[in-house]
Amino acid sequence: MSSDPARLGASFRDPSGYLFQRDGRLYRQVNRAYQADFDRLLTSGLYDELVNAGLLIRHTESGAAPHDPSLGYRVIEPEPVPFISYPYEWSFGQLQAAALATLEIQKRALAKGMSLKDSSAYNIQFHRGRPVLIDTLSFEAYREGEPWDAYRQFCQHFLAPLALMAHTDIRLGQLLRVYIDGIPLDLASRLLPRKTRLSFSLLSHLHLHAASQKRYADKIVDRKQVRRRMSRTSFLGLIDNLASTTRNLTWKPAGTEWGSYYTVHNYTQAGLAHKQQVVDRFLDLSTPQTVWDLGANTGLFSQQASRRGIATVAFDIDPAAVELNYRDSTSRADAHMLPLVSDLTNPSPALGWSNRERMSLLDRAPADAVLALALVHHLAIGNNLPLPEVARFFSQLAPWLLVEFVPKRDSQVQRMLATRVDIFDRYDRPGFELAFGQHYRIEEAIDLQDSERTLYLLQRS
Amino acid sequence: MHLLTLLRPAAYLDPGSGSYLLQLLVAAVLGAGLAVRMYWGRIKTIFGRKNPDELTENPTDKPDELTDKPDEQ
Repeated sequence: MSSDPARLGASFRDPSGYLFQRDGRLYRQVNRAYQADFDRLLTSGLYDELVNAGLLIRHTESGAAPHDPSLGYRVIEPEPVPFISYPYEWSFGQLQAAALATLEIQKRALAKGMSLKDSSAYNIQFHRGRPVLIDTLSFEAYREGEPWDAYRQFCQHFLAPLALMAHTDIRLGQLLRVYIDGIPLDLASRLLPRKTRLSFSLLSHLHLHAASQKRYADKIVDRKQVRRRMSRTSFLGLIDNLASTTRNLTWKPAGTEWGSYYTVHNYTQAGLAHKQQVVDRFLDLSTPQTVWDLGANTGLFSQQASRRGIATVAFDIDPAAVELNYRDSTSRADAHMLPLVSDLTNPSPALGWSNRERMSLLDRAPADAVLALALVHHLAIGNNLPLPEVARFFSQLAPWLLVEFVPKRDSQVQRMLATRVDIFDRYDRPGFELAFGQHYRIEEAIDLQDSERTLYLLQRS
Repeated sequence: MHLLTLLRPAAYLDPGSGSYLLQLLVAAVLGAGLAVRMYWGRIKTIFGRKNPDELTENPTDKPDELTDKPDEQ
C-alpha cells in the first residue's frame, strides 16, 4: 500500500485500482490489470443497466492524469456521495436493503456475462435514500462452472449479522464494528438459537458453512480432485436462495428505548408546532447544504431539513427509532434523509488497517448545521458530561447549532434525577450560556411555548 | 492432498476451501430445486394450467440458459 496521503485508506486490497484525491475531487484509477473487465462492464451494457436502475454509482470518464501512470489505464470520477456511512451504523432494514441490492446486482451481472468478485457491505452506500454499489471495479467476467468467490464474504458481511439481529439480539449488529471483514461464521453459529438449524437456508449458509470452514481450515484442497463444477442454474439457485433467505429475516422495531418517544414526550400540540417553527427559522437563518440531527429519534425534525432538499443525517442511539425513520423515509421516497445508529457518547472510531480504512464520525465532519434537540440533558445529566465539554464537541461538528436547553424543573430531567444525587450545580441557563458562549455567538434564544425549555440558535464565533 | 489451486490468479479474495466446497454442495441442491421448479412450470403450461409466476419468455430454453428470476420459495 502506498503511504501517499492522496490515496484513500479504504481502497487498497483490490489490485484493479484505487481511489485518490486531487484538488479536492475524488477519482478512481483503473489499473491496466483490470482493463479487460472494465471494458466489458461498459460494452456489455451492464454499467448502463445498473446505473439506470440506481444500483451502481454513476461515473464520468475523467481526462485527469493517472495517479500512478505506471499502473493506470483510465481515471474515472464517481458521483460524490454526501455522507459515507458504515454497516455498523445501519439499522436492520438498511443492512437488509444493502444485501438485497448486492444480490440483485449479481443477478443482473450474471445475465450479462459478469460476476461480482467481492460482496463487501462497505462497497454499498446509501445515496439519495437507496443502497448503491460504489465500487465500479467489483466486476469480473463470469466463467462458466466457477462458483462465487464472494459467497463467504456475503455470508459474513450480510447474512450472519442479519440472522443474529433477527434471531438473537438486534444489538449484535454492532459486532460488525469489531470484525471488519464481517462476523466469523463459527461465532454467528454459536450465538444463533437452535431453531435456526431447522431452516434449510440458515443451516446451510451459516451453520454447515461454519462447520465446513472449520473442517477444511488446515487442509489443502486440490481443485483437480474436486470434480464438481457449479452450473449456471446452480449459481442462480444459490443467488435466489440467498435473496429469499435475506428477505425472510425480519425484525420488528419495538420495545427499545425510544420507539414510542413521541407518544410519551411532554410537549403540547402547540408546543410541538412552536418547536417546528423554530427549526424552520433556524434553517432559514443558517441556509445549510448538510444537516446532522443528533438524537434525531424517528426523524420528526430531521424531515424539516430533508424536505428542503438538504442532505440530512439523522443519528440516534436506538436501533428501533432508526429503523422506523428508515422505513418512513423509504415510504416517502425521501432522497435526502440518511438515518443512522450512533451513540454520541462513543461515536464510530477510525477503524481497520492503519486506522485509515473506516473514518471516525469526526473525520466525516463538518456538516453545515447541527440540530441537538432534547439531547443536552441526556449528555450532561444522563452521562455526567460537563456542559463546556458538550459545547466543545458540538463546535467541532458544524458552524451552526440549534440546541435545546431542558432545565432541571422539566419533568424529563426530574425523572433522570429521581434516582441519583444532584451533583449538577452548573446545570442552569447561565451555566449553559457561559459554556456555549465560549464557542458560539447566540443569535437568538427562544422560550418554547407551554414548556420550561429554551431553544438557542447559535453561530460559531 | 496436492497444491492449493483453488484460486484463479485474478481473484483477490480468498474464497476459503471450506466455503468453496460447501458452496458447491449447497448450490447443487438449490440448482436442482430451481430446475425442478422450472420444468414443473413448463409441464403445467403444456397441460394448460398456466402459472403466471413461472412463465418464461422462451419456453424452449434449457434451464441452464435461463436468467429470469424463478418464483420465490
